Amino acid sequence: MIMSRQYLNWRLFFTLVIRIKINQMKYTLAIIFSIFIVKLPAQEKQFSKDEQGKFIYYQVVDSQVVSKAVLLERAKHFIHSSNKKLMKPERSTDTSVLANGKLIIDKTILVAGHPSGEVNYNFVFEAREGKYRFWLTDFEYIPYQRDRYGNFVATTNIGTPLEKRVDKLNAGTWKDIQASAYAKAVKFADSFKKFLATDKKVPEPVKKEVISTRKW
Amino acid sequence: MKKFLTAIFAMAGTTCALAQETPTSPLEISGSVDTYFKYDFAKQPNNITTSFATDHNSVSLGMIDLVLKKTTGKASFVGELSFGPRGQEQSLLDASSNGSSFHIQNLYVNYDFTDQFSITAGYMGTFVGYEVISPVGNFNYSTSYLFTSGPFQNAGIKATYKFSDKVSLMAGLFNDWNVYTATRGVSSIGGQLMVSPVEGWTAYINVLSGAGGGGYGTIEDLTTSYQVTDKFKLGLNAANYDINNDGGGYAGVALYPQFAFTDAVSLGLRGEYFKTKNVAGFGATKYTAVTLTANIKSGGLTFIPEVRLDHNGDKPFFKENGLAAPNAGQFSLAAVYAF
Repeated sequence: MIMSRQYLNWRLFFTLVIRIKINQMKYTLAIIFSIFIVKLPAQEKQFSKDEQGKFIYYQVVDSQVVSKAVLLERAKHFIHSSNKKLMKPERSTDTSVLANGKLIIDKTILVAGHPSGEVNYNFVFEAREGKYRFWLTDFEYIPYQRDRYGNFVATTNIGTPLEKRVDKLNAGTWKDIQASAYAKAVKFADSFKKFLATDKKVPEPVKKEVISTRKW
Repeated sequence: MKKFLTAIFAMAGTTCALAQETPTSPLEISGSVDTYFKYDFAKQPNNITTSFATDHNSVSLGMIDLVLKKTTGKASFVGELSFGPRGQEQSLLDASSNGSSFHIQNLYVNYDFTDQFSITAGYMGTFVGYEVISPVGNFNYSTSYLFTSGPFQNAGIKATYKFSDKVSLMAGLFNDWNVYTATRGVSSIGGQLMVSPVEGWTAYINVLSGAGGGGYGTIEDLTTSYQVTDKFKLGLNAANYDINNDGGGYAGVALYPQFAFTDAVSLGLRGEYFKTKNVAGFGATKYTAVTLTANIKSGGLTFIPEVRLDHNGDKPFFKENGLAAPNAGQFSLAAVYAF
């Protein structure tokens, strides 16, 4: 009797364990599946390549409201008003603006981090009536290293093309750099488009209401 | 000295109004961890007496190094703390009576009055020399005689003016070497001229005069590196230190050719000639040292295998049986992780 009760208890215990395991597996599979789903579009977010095999971030934007001349002015204004360390104008024509830019790549440790390198690029902007296009290309990565004073500075002046294939030892790090550069390029493009779509006329100063406590 | 300080603050005052606002950065956290195994060919600990990697036939600790940096507008600070033999008793003077060492590598504040002009005050890594305490900043794991003999840190106040990306000038007043509190007052004056004549070539001409190692003296130092191609880099350090009143000093030169075979694997050589000077007419001696080092990188981790051979005709080294020897050699394998 005791044996059979023990046997039943064990059986019940194992049945419960197996059920929990199956449930856990379901959750595990669901989690893996969801990660896979999330991972797929994340992997797609990479630079496209141009006809020379170089990474390029290219956009054509429809702009029926703003004229070509205003677009060019705003593009120049954007470049000149940017942080001088991150963007330098090169030259401009009647239809285009060229500049050199820099994207700072960060290494994040939990919530804080530090700059780990920079990606230099060439920026080209061209405008026509009703639309404009711009692209970032010639991406070159320069790693940073901490100097004797605790500041992160460039280790070399010779950049590595971002589309270059690296050896297996550093493939993971290189992929992270490419992904980070892409994310920064997207952010840059968003701010550029927003700048070009916005009228920069100085708004009328709003009269500040002064509240007097003398009157009720 | 008063004139110097007055000049600095006058310059700061006039340029302050021209300064541009710079954005506030998040708190930066970085650092490194290193460990090593060293085997002395004569089985003698401390046969080669340059800094760090002192233990023989032992898997030993370097240090954990933690760096904080924050920029708010034009002001910034850096605080760097290190724990472990390399970052405590091997690089810093004992500052308390029980022999336990403080472990501050950098602790300073900086203010950028303009894009060109800044003032920094506090305890800073020295501006003299090629090699540094942090293993992340060096290609070789063992260190040169020039590094070991020179200053490690200077506490003081310095002003830097950047004429262009190719030329900058620093001048400052400092305590004696490697101390948080001046033992002989703010007793040193130092300067650094940075020039970058061609793309990839940077040279620092340094002078530090005042209270230092062994007495009052003057160091003249040239530290330069040239990234000749994307694979080949050449570094050079040359220094001369004279201590007043026939108190000795040193002179030396070290050459650092490095070649990157792939993104992950580089090989570098350090060839050094170093001599100490006579103290009251005696004691001068000469070293030559050759160090062959590889850097194998994977992400933040760097493996550093290294073979080093030193020679001195005055036989300061030891054989396995304890007799004096003119040569010493060692192998080491270090792992350094930077984050």
